[in-house]
This record gives sequence, structure tokens and C-alpha cells, in this order.
Amino acid sequence: MIAAVLSGFAVALLAPALAKRLGRGAGAVLALYPAALFFRFLSRVPAVVAGETPSASLPFVPELGISLSFRLDGLALLMALLVTGIGAIVLVYAGTYLEGHPRRGPLLGLLVAFLSAMAGLVLCDDLLALFAFWEATSILSYFLIGFEREEAEARAAALQALLVTGGGGLALLAGFVLLGQAGGTLEVSALAANAEALKAHPLYLPALLLVLAGAFTKSAQVPFHFWLPGAMAAPTPVSAYLHSATMVKAGVFLLARLHPALGGTREWVWVVTSVGAATMLTGALLSVGQRDLKRLLAFSTVSALGSLTMLVGVGTPAALGAAMVFLLAHALYKAALFLVAGILDHEAGTRDATRLGGLLPLLPATGVAAMAAAFSMAGLPPLLGFVSKELLYDAALRASPLPFVLVPVAVGSNMLLVAVALTVGFGPFTGPRGATSKLPHEAPVAMWAGPALLGFGSLAAGVFSGALSPFLSAAASSALGHPYGVRLELWHGFSLVLLKSLVTLVVGVALYRGRHRLRAFAERFAPLGALGPARLWRAGLAGLVSVAKGTAAFLSSGSLRQDVRVVVVAAVALLGPLLLSRGTFGAADALPSVRPIEAVLALLVVAGAVGAVVAGSRLSAVVGLGVTGYGIALLFLVFGAPDLSMTQFAVETLSVLLFVAVLRRLPRLRSRSAPRSRAVDAALAAAVGALMAGLVLAVHAGPLRSRLSGFFAESSLPLAKGRNVVNVILVDFRGLDTLGEITVLAVAALGVLSLVRLRLAAKGTAGAKEGGR
Amino acid sequence: MTVLLALAIGVLYAAGTYLLLRRSAVRVVFGLALLGHAANLLVFTAGRLVREGPPIVPPGALAPPTPSADPLPQALVLTAIVIGFGVQAFALVLLRRACQEAGTDDVDAMREERP
Amino acid sequence: MNVLLVLPLLVPLATAVAGILLLRVPRAARAASALGAAGLLAASIALLSATLDGTILVTQAGAWPAPFGITLVADRFAAAMVVVGAVLLAAVVASSVRGLDAARERAGFHPLVHALAMGVSGAFLTGDLFNLYVWFEVMLMSSFVLVSLGGEREQLTGGLRYVVLNLVSSALFLAGAGLLYGTVGTLNMADAAVALRAMPAQGTTSVVAALFLLAFGIKAAAFPLFFWLPASYHTPPMPIAALFAGLLTKVGVYALVRTGTLVFDRDRAFTDPLLLAVAALTMVTGVLGAMAQTDVRKVLSFHIVSQIGYMLMGLGLGTRLALAGTVFYVLHHIVVKGNLFLVAGVIRRVGGSFSLDRLGGLLTRSPLLAAAFLVPALSLAGLPPLSGFWAKYLLVRAGLEAGHGAIVGVALAVSLLTLFSMTKIWAEAFWKPAPEGSDPAPLGAGERLSLLGPVLALGAVTVAIGLGAGVLFRFADAAAAQLLEPGLYVRAVLGARGGGG
Repeated sequence: MIAAVLSGFAVALLAPALAKRLGRGAGAVLALYPAALFFRFLSRVPAVVAGETPSASLPFVPELGISLSFRLDGLALLMALLVTGIGAIVLVYAGTYLEGHPRRGPLLGLLVAFLSAMAGLVLCDDLLALFAFWEATSILSYFLIGFEREEAEARAAALQALLVTGGGGLALLAGFVLLGQAGGTLEVSALAANAEALKAHPLYLPALLLVLAGAFTKSAQVPFHFWLPGAMAAPTPVSAYLHSATMVKAGVFLLARLHPALGGTREWVWVVTSVGAATMLTGALLSVGQRDLKRLLAFSTVSALGSLTMLVGVGTPAALGAAMVFLLAHALYKAALFLVAGILDHEAGTRDATRLGGLLPLLPATGVAAMAAAFSMAGLPPLLGFVSKELLYDAALRASPLPFVLVPVAVGSNMLLVAVALTVGFGPFTGPRGATSKLPHEAPVAMWAGPALLGFGSLAAGVFSGALSPFLSAAASSALGHPYGVRLELWHGFSLVLLKSLVTLVVGVALYRGRHRLRAFAERFAPLGALGPARLWRAGLAGLVSVAKGTAAFLSSGSLRQDVRVVVVAAVALLGPLLLSRGTFGAADALPSVRPIEAVLALLVVAGAVGAVVAGSRLSAVVGLGVTGYGIALLFLVFGAPDLSMTQFAVETLSVLLFVAVLRRLPRLRSRSAPRSRAVDAALAAAVGALMAGLVLAVHAGPLRSRLSGFFAESSLPLAKGRNVVNVILVDFRGLDTLGEITVLAVAALGVLSLVRLRLAAKGTAGAKEGGR
Repeated sequence: MTVLLALAIGVLYAAGTYLLLRRSAVRVVFGLALLGHAANLLVFTAGRLVREGPPIVPPGALAPPTPSADPLPQALVLTAIVIGFGVQAFALVLLRRACQEAGTDDVDAMREERP
Repeated sequence: MNVLLVLPLLVPLATAVAGILLLRVPRAARAASALGAAGLLAASIALLSATLDGTILVTQAGAWPAPFGITLVADRFAAAMVVVGAVLLAAVVASSVRGLDAARERAGFHPLVHALAMGVSGAFLTGDLFNLYVWFEVMLMSSFVLVSLGGEREQLTGGLRYVVLNLVSSALFLAGAGLLYGTVGTLNMADAAVALRAMPAQGTTSVVAALFLLAFGIKAAAFPLFFWLPASYHTPPMPIAALFAGLLTKVGVYALVRTGTLVFDRDRAFTDPLLLAVAALTMVTGVLGAMAQTDVRKVLSFHIVSQIGYMLMGLGLGTRLALAGTVFYVLHHIVVKGNLFLVAGVIRRVGGSFSLDRLGGLLTRSPLLAAAFLVPALSLAGLPPLSGFWAKYLLVRAGLEAGHGAIVGVALAVSLLTLFSMTKIWAEAFWKPAPEGSDPAPLGAGERLSLLGPVLALGAVTVAIGLGAGVLFRFADAAAAQLLEPGLYVRAVLGARGGGG
């Protein structure tokens, strides 16, 4: 199982090359892969219905409890069939839809990769592996939405989708980690078994909220719904696949998958149900007034996802059963309608609902398929959509809490959705001929076969819904955590539910008839639409970028002095209080007496330093430095370090010479820093000075028992054969230091040489200097 | 004496830091030189000042007379001085080139452009 | 004398010497450089394999016993760092064949790069604090020359900032070393650890420890000490920048980890919250800085800072899982960051500019380059199953297990912004069509191999780490366990008598 799914990625990599070779049939050939998977999964239906759960597992990081484990239960099987089945159809469709497009191959490849990622997602039992597939779908969606990359709009939409789902994804990761902590395992099935303890755990609430954030962003729930309409910038096959049938369902799927482990608590029910209901209503309302077929479908998808979420939130067996049926029904009709929208775009040159009409004679096959799908969406018997709507209403009626809120919301939303369904699938094919830019003709078989198949599927599934019951029951049982039988039948008898369905249909049709007036009415409210999460998002993003720019400007103020100031302040702020609170004072081990010569030398050193600071000319500053250096050399001599003293003398002399040589003919500084900044700098400098002096004294709190020098003194002659211990240390005991020291000198020499040489080169070849990298 | 030297070290650090914060690139390099001196003196002082003779083994003996100066801090400072010289030499030449390219000694003028 | 510990120092030294002797013969110098890089890689792998079973390799320079002589020590962490450094060096040397102009090569690029490698290896392997200072200086000196090599104005002015701030860091380090000797009387790290255990945790030694923290913090580009990095890393040619970006700051991080777990690990109540706060600020300021940039090199430079924050987070959390996360992160980041800078060089070569405003259409022009960019970019942003994701996951999990929800939240938010930043480069340079007046030049066949080859190779390493995360995790976990038991290190260095202190 694992290999079968992962091999999809390999197929995806080969796709572009294959597409070039195969030309027309590329889509069909590539569709063989998901088709094969589809039939393979189909063959497992009897087993799963009987209650088995075939699984496979590949340990990945066992120490952390991470493994790539797949588990095929009812819910996974339902999703897997949808993913592979619709995937195959979309591939065939896309192969023809994009014919002639130079980048058709990569798109097909991306679709196949996405298919594998989605399949992996639904099959996973390990949370972290699931997360990996989740993120994979997000990034693949980014590439797919931004496929028409020359369009700035596509790029922006892709980014928006990525950031919203990606942000949710990160919350999801944190949630999963917390779940792993609380439940002691990352396997969903194990977590479900331990559900009681999990729900009582203190980490339950934060984990739940984080997971919900992830699920809600992916499934475009309010207020994160705005990325979905934007994603319509993707090519239509992509929208049909990702943004109606598969990717957006991932969030709801996750909620269903985790329901046994996390669901049923008060927090779950309240949050999930209300968000779902709000989304259901919002999506339906926002669809009013849209002209673009794809946007109509996008908003109705938002609404559908809301209903699914609401059902999972309610969590009763009836609700979950309804959710499973709706999942299937929606996938079938929504994908079909999207594909039809693509056909209309392709053939008639427009997706504007107001300009399409009367096309049934010209596109008979497409039209019939479209109407089947539209009627299913509108909830007309005997299509599957009707069955699913009945179950939805039934669950809403029996829901707690607040059935009296949920029912009107459900009915109201569905009324609007009926209108949408008819606008998309019925309107373009009936009535007067619309004004289209091209004269449309029937699409190639490869393109209408898909919607036809799906439409037919909606019909067949509706008529034979009883036969589907065991299969959907298995799905519902997985979501519930215990066995439950969903009864799908066309006729439930006269009931409140039937009444609601009738009302929905009647009002919906009326809304459809009056759609032009409705649209005009809605368009007056269009400015209102400018406020809302999308606007907030754009503002937020812009605000973030300006914060970033401000921070950057502040950080790279470009001034060396500022950088040094920050370091100095940090040093003083960190070390100062530490020294004051923890330093040991008293300097017991200090050398108390002062010999006159030493005092004079110390004074000399200080005088030189001060001189270097206040000196007016560079030369006098160098003199000051020299005085300091020589003073230190003499101090070394006085305190028993003749070698050191000699070195210091030599180096100081060289330094002075070097200073003088280099600083000649250097440009003069005209301006000086402001008095206030000089005062600040002086204060900082004083603080540093005090700090270091204090440190030196603090170190003298106790005697220094060197753990090393005794050995050096004793071994210098006998072992190292040298009399001058300091020298012996340098060349023998710590020779490695000296090796490094010499290397530094050599590198410095090389550096000086290169700097000087390049200068000469610039002088010699003025104008011909190459700055190339 | 330790106290006196500690104060001297403090002054060296203060002077060096102050110069490091000046606008003239030349003064910055002077500051670095002073900081180098300060660090060397600090290491030497922290290793404890002794007025005894240097740690040299006189003829006929096997070890230097005790007490004598601690050889280790001396070796460390020596290494540091030489390394410091190499670095300083390079820094000087770099400074000269930078000032020539930028046409000025002003550190603030050598900023990069804002993003 | 354990040869394995000495080779990572001797091989680059020999190569550097050869490079200097062969300065006038570029072909031979290149060959010597390549040979040296390969040799270093081989030697470091040999070193690593000797540490895999938990042995801590120890040798004394000059055969003078510890703690009197200078000790070279290799535990798992140190050996892994040497290996990854060698890998990056090899990639950089390979890409310098076409990626570096002749003038710089003649000015001594090859010996300098190997001298840098020597300093870096020395820093990883030394067990003596003053010796660490010396290797830092070797590394810094080489980097000073490399950053200014070529003498362009940007390099010189940026170089001056780089030099000054790093010299401040060196001065602080030197002072710290001297003060440490003045307090505990030893320079050997293991010996100092033993000596410090006998002293009060909250005395003057903690101030000295803070001094080291500051010095290493500047080197590691932690907040608020990192300003030198975005000012200078973008100025030298990309092979040099790649080496810097990958290695230099990590040496600072390594020093922090080593001293923090071995020598100065006793005042955790103070250092841990400080490190966590610094980590959070570093992460945030780094990524915000990156988001505002339009020059690819500057974006990448700021990201270095941001990622350093993650490594510091693991150190601040201090648990075994957290330290494993830091080790994993450091190793992964060296590869990925070096890779990204090299890719930037190829982007410039193909697209004609580093500026996002002037780039465009690179996906069409060179899909291979696009793939070469995408792998490290997505890994940096932490997308599974690439290496960056596992590194991030370890830290997130360690943070949540330790109860530090706030910094985990910051880390995740920064991760999202990093993704935003990387996709911005993707969208601007690869997706959006090339603007008017841009002057793209396709890659010749030879260039394709020498420029894209190292990049794709590093990308393959990233993917391999990601897919084989279990392997690297087990290693990182074992390394972390070693780090958290300083007694092992001390006993290895000082023998039986060092055990009890």
C-alpha cells in the first residue's frame, strides 16, 4: 500500500517527459496510475465493510514514535476512492484541456504528485506522517495555483493560499506534538483507544484549538475562507480537483478522523458546530451576486465545507452518517460542475453566467451531465444529492444543541445553493442563446466524459443508494469510533425532513428565476465585501512588510559606530549588574605595595592613552600610542617578563612605523561628531573601563593556584631541554598555539599583499579594472 | 600595585572604547590598538604580578628559583601580542584602502545604502 | 599521537602552504586545493567513524599530558562539525572553478580558504580555551582577507565593519581567557570544568562566563550583536560568502554549546532564560530584516541570523531532545545555507543580477536551477520531509515538552515568515516574467557542471538527511547525550584522576 502511493511521486517526476512524447494521450496514460489505484482500493471494499482494517507500517524514527503507517478503514477508503477516482478523471480531462499549452507536462506531473500526497494523507495513521503529506499538499497547491505564473494575480493568490494554510499547518504541528505528549503516542488509532484519558488531559484544550486552527484554515472555514475564491486563479482542472474534491476536504477529513479521539466534548461540539454553521451560511450568502461560474462554485464549496464541518461538530451518529453521504455526493457533483465550467470556458470563451445560455443543442453531452450534477446539488430526487440533503436535515433536526438555529441556517443556505446549482448547471444550457465570444461546439470526448461519468454516478448512487449503505456505514463507523449503520433510502415517508427539502427546492427555484434581480441587489452591497477577512489579510500582510522594513532600517542603520555602541551597551548591561551582585571584592590577593618606578610606568601608560585620545593630530596620537606601548613593555620588564618585554618593544616599534607609513596622505576628517554623542560615548567608555578594572580586582579575591605552571617550571629543563621556561612553553608545551600564531601572520601578510597589489593594479590599468565575480 | 594597574587597565579600556566610537576611521584603528594593549595587560595582571625574577633555569639547577614569575601568562600574552600585530597590520592597510575608495576618513560616510 | 585528530589540521595547512607556493600557477593551485579539500573530507569522515560508537578521541599535542599540554578532543558533535565543514569546503572549492574570477584566485583565494578551514577544524577539535582563541584568530584573519579580497568598494567598507566588530569579540575573548586563568588557574577545558565544580556557582566565575557568552555571541551573530553580518556577508563573491554563511557563525554556536555544556553549565537558572530570550529576539529580528530586503544575498544573510536563533533556543532549553535538535539544526543549516549562497551565485550568473526587482523568468530559463534553489529553500523553511523540518520538529517538541509554549509559538511564527520570504524569492526570481532590460545569459555546458554540480550535490545531501532523518536523529541524540554528561569528556581527557574533581 505504501509503495503504491509513494510511487506516485516517481510517476510525477516522469510526467513532463512522458507528456512530450505522448502528445494527445498523455492525460489518459497518466490517468492509468490513479485508475489502477482506484480499482485496487475498490477491491478492498468488501473487506473493509466487513470490519477489517488492512494496514502497513514503515518505522521512520522509532525513538520518537514516528513511522509511516497506513491504515485503511471505512473513512480512509471512501476518501481514497474519491481521490484516485476523481484524480483519474481530472487527469484525462486536463490532458485535453491544456492541449497545446507548453507547460502541460509539468502541470500533469504536479497533479499526479498532488494525488499521491492526498492519498497518503487520508491513509495515514501516524500524525506526523499525516502532517508531512498535509504540508506537501499545501506546497503543491501553491505551485498549482500559481501555474499561470505570468499573471501577478495568480502568484498573489498562490501565496495567499500557501500562507493561510501554511500558518494553519504550523498550528497543526504544535497541536499534534501536544497530542502526542498528552496521549503518549502519535498513532491515531491508539489515541482513539485512549480517548477518555485524552479528553480529560490538561493539554486537551490547547491541542484541540491548535488542531482546529489547522483544519479550519485548510477547509476554508470562516474567517479563513477567503483564500478559496482567490485560488480560482488556478487552471480549471486544478480547481476541480483540489478546491472542490480533495484538498479542501482534508481539514474536514482530519476532524472526522480525529473525532473518536477528540470529539464529543463540549468544546468540540460548540466550536466546531458554530464555525461550520457560520461558514455554511457565509459561503451561501457570498455566492449571491457572483457572475463567474468558478467563483459561484468556490463560494458554494465554502458553504458545503461548512455543512460538513457542522455535521462533524454535532457528532451524533446521524450527523456523521449524513456527513459521509454528503462527502460523496458533493465530490461527485462539484467536480462535475467545475469540469463543466471549464468546458464552457474552453468552448464558449467565457465563464460569465450572465452571458451563457441556450447551449444545450450545441453541447448536448456536456449539458446533460451538467444538469445531472446541478440537480444533485439542488437536491432533486432521485439523485444522490437528494438523499444526502435529507440526511443532513434529519441530523440537523435531531442535533443538540440548538437545532432551532441549525435548521434555519441549513435550510437557508441550501436555498441559495439550489439557486447556485441551477445558475451553473442549468442556466447556461437553457433559455435564450447568450452572447459569447466564440461559437461553441461540443467539447472533445475526453472532456465531457468526466462530468458525464460523475453525473451518471450521482444518479446511479441516488437510485441504488440502498446498496451503498454498508460502504458508507463503514465510513461513518470509522468517524464515530463505533459501528453504526447509515440507512440510505430514497423514500423516508412523509416527514418534516421531506417538507424541508420541498421548501428548499421551491424557494431555491424561485431564487434562481429571480437571479438577475437578486444579482443586482447583491451588487449594491459589493462595497461591503471590501471589508472582511480578505481585506484584513491584505492589510495585515502589508502591515507586516512595513514593520519588517522599519525593523530592517533600524537594524542596518549602516553605522559602524552604532553597532559598536550596541555591543558596548550589551556588555555593560550584562556584565555590570553581574559583577556588582556576584563579584567578590576585597582583592585579597592583590599586590599591595607600590614601587616608585612602577607607579611612574603605570602613569606613563595612562598618559599615553589619554594623549592618544585628546591628540589633535594623527602623529601625536601615534606618539601617545607608542608611549603606552613602551610603558607596558617596561612594566613587563619590571615584573619579571624579559622575553615578553623584548617582544613588546619590537612589536611596538614596528607598529609605530607602520602607523606612520600608512597614515600619511590619508584624507582628513572634516567634521566631528556632535557633543552630545561624544558625551554619550564618553559615558559608555567610562563604564567599560570601570567594568574591566572591577573584573581585574574581583579576580584577585583569592590566591591563584595555577594548576599548570608548576609542571612547566619543573619539566622545562629535564624533559624539554630548555632553560627559558617561557620560550619552552611557546615552542614545546604549547607549540600548537605558536603554529596558529605563525599562520595568522602568514595570512596577514598575504592579505596585505593582496590589498596593496590590487591597488597597484588599479593604478596601472585604470579603466580596465574588472569587477566581475 | 595591582589596584593601580587595574585602574590603568580601566583607563586603557575606556580610552580604547572611546576612540572606537569616533567618526574618524583612523581613530577607530587607534582605539583597536589601545584595546589590544588593554587586553594584554589584563591577561598579564590577572596572572598575578610578582616582583621576582623571570622563570629561567639558572645553570646548575633543574628548575627556576622559587618564587619566580608565572611563565604561562607571559607565554599567552606573547602569543596575543604577535597575533595582534598581524591583525593590526592588516587592519591598517584595509583602513587605508577603504578610506581611499570612499574618499574620506569618515566612518559614517562609509555606510551602505538602506535596503 | 592519534593521527585522526591531527589530520584535520595538517591537511588544510599543507594545502594552504602549497597554495601559497603555487600562487603564480593557477591550474596547479586549483588542483592542490581540490586535492586538499578531498583529503580533508576523507580525514574527517575517518574521524567521525571512530567516534560513532561513543568513543571520545583524545590526543595531546607534543605528547605533553593533559592539562599541561594542549589537548585535541573529538566527541560525536565535534567530529560531525568537522565533517560538515569539510563537505562545505569541498562544495565551495568545486564551485570556485567557474564561480570565482581569476584575479581573486591569483590573490590567494585557495590558500586563504584552506587556512580558514584549518582554523575552523582547530576550533572544533581543541580542548584548550586559549588554543581556541588562537584558532578563532586564524579563522578570523583568513576571513578578514577573504572578505576584502578583490578590493571593491563594498567589500572594503563592509569589510571594515566586519573586522572591527570581530576584533572587539576577540578582545573580549582574550580578556575572558586571561580572567579565567586568573580565577581557576588552568586553560584546559576539562580541567577548568573540574576546578569550577569546586567553586561557588555564583561567584566571579559567572561574570567571566558571561564575558565568554558575549564574545561567542558576537561571533555567532546573536541579538543584539549581529549587525556586522548583514553589513558584510553579501559583499564578497558567492563562493566565499557561502563558506562564511555556512561555517563562521556555527563556530560561534559550537563554542557556546561546548562551553555551555562543559565548562559554564552551573548557573543554568540565569543563563537559560537569557538564552531563550536572546534566541527569540534573534529569530524574530532576523526574519523581519530578511522580509524587507530585495537583494537575494541580503535576504539570505538576515536568514542566517534568524536561524541562529533556533540553535540558541535548543541550547537554552537544555534538555536532551533540545540539544539533539540544536545539533541536528547546526549540521543541517551548514549544508543548506552554504547551498543557498552558492545558488545565489548561479542566479546572478544566469539572471544577471542579485536584485529581485531585476530578476525574473528563471524557471523557464533554467528549470534545473529552479530545482536547485527549491530544495534548500524549502528545507530552510522547514517543509517536510526535508532536513529543516526535522530540525524544527525536534526543537518544537523539546520546547513543548519542557513547557515553553511561548518560544515555540515564536519559532513557528518565524518559520511561517521564513516560508514567506523564500517564496518571495521564488516568485520574484523564478516565476515572474523577466523585466525589461534584464540581461540573462544561459549557462554553457561546462559551467552547468561546475556551477550547478556542487549545488545539486548539496541539495541531494539535504534530501538524504530528510529522508534518513532517523539516522541523523539517532546520531544527534547520542551526541546530545554525550554533551549532557561532561564527566565523559573530562575522564577521557584527564584520565581517571579527573573523574571526581
